[in-house]
Amino acid sequence: MKIKKKIIDSTIEIFSTMVMMDISVENDEVEGSGKLQDTITGVIGLAGIHKGVLAVHIPYPVALAITSNFLGMDVNEINEDVEDAVGELANMLGGNIKTVLTENGRDIDLSLPSTISGSSYNFQPSKDVIKIVVEFGTSNGHFLVELQLEK
Amino acid sequence: MGKNVLLVDDSSTMRKIIGRSLRQAGLEFDTIFEAGDGLEALAVLEKEKIDIVLSDINMPNMDGISFLREKASRDAIKDIPVLMISTETGDDIIGEAKSLGAVGSIKKPFTPDKVNEVLGPLL
Repeated sequence: MKIKKKIIDSTIEIFSTMVMMDISVENDEVEGSGKLQDTITGVIGLAGIHKGVLAVHIPYPVALAITSNFLGMDVNEINEDVEDAVGELANMLGGNIKTVLTENGRDIDLSLPSTISGSSYNFQPSKDVIKIVVEFGTSNGHFLVELQLEK
Repeated sequence: MGKNVLLVDDSSTMRKIIGRSLRQAGLEFDTIFEAGDGLEALAVLEKEKIDIVLSDINMPNMDGISFLREKASRDAIKDIPVLMISTETGDDIIGEAKSLGAVGSIKKPFTPDKVNEVLGPLL
């Protein structure tokens, strides 16, 4: 529960302070991300005393709105700016989640952010994991934040 | 003559946001230089007159900690102050950055007010 609360609090803080976009928690007990369609996913890997990934799955219209707000200019196509913005979102979320998993910072390393996008794909773990998935709403649609930690 | 700042972050989005936050915080700079990693930052510092550096920690090629260590070894640039702006908040990492000469840190996400509060007194 502590981790889920941190995911929710960190996501809301990032969106209110840096994306300048109002978001709301739509569902904090989503079972999984399911089939992702016309979506871009930002991913951060965690390695060390906890192993796993932090992912943010953002449908294209929401990703365009987020990037436009981030940059203060209209962005109308999925391009490098959108990939960079979504990767940085994942990076900030990963860094914030890390603070509830470790206190000193050196026993969990974060990877550099990467992105995946496509018209239809699944985001599946290759190992047995604990999943926490939270759905957030914006005026442009919904997006998911997913944490997978190896058991 | 005004001051120049160097923003070091592998995310071009984040460099734009930091630049915007500086303006929103009322902190005026003559020129905002940018670098995508520690290696690029060292090259800018060797070439341009930079008054302060705002640097991320997790970056490809040369991260913020290695950048601080390399900068400290170069006499011509070792005294230029560096403020860390990062998702990293752990005592170990921030402590190491400060031991290598970082003058402070700001956690991402941040507000223009926070930037002003930490950076303002350093200018």
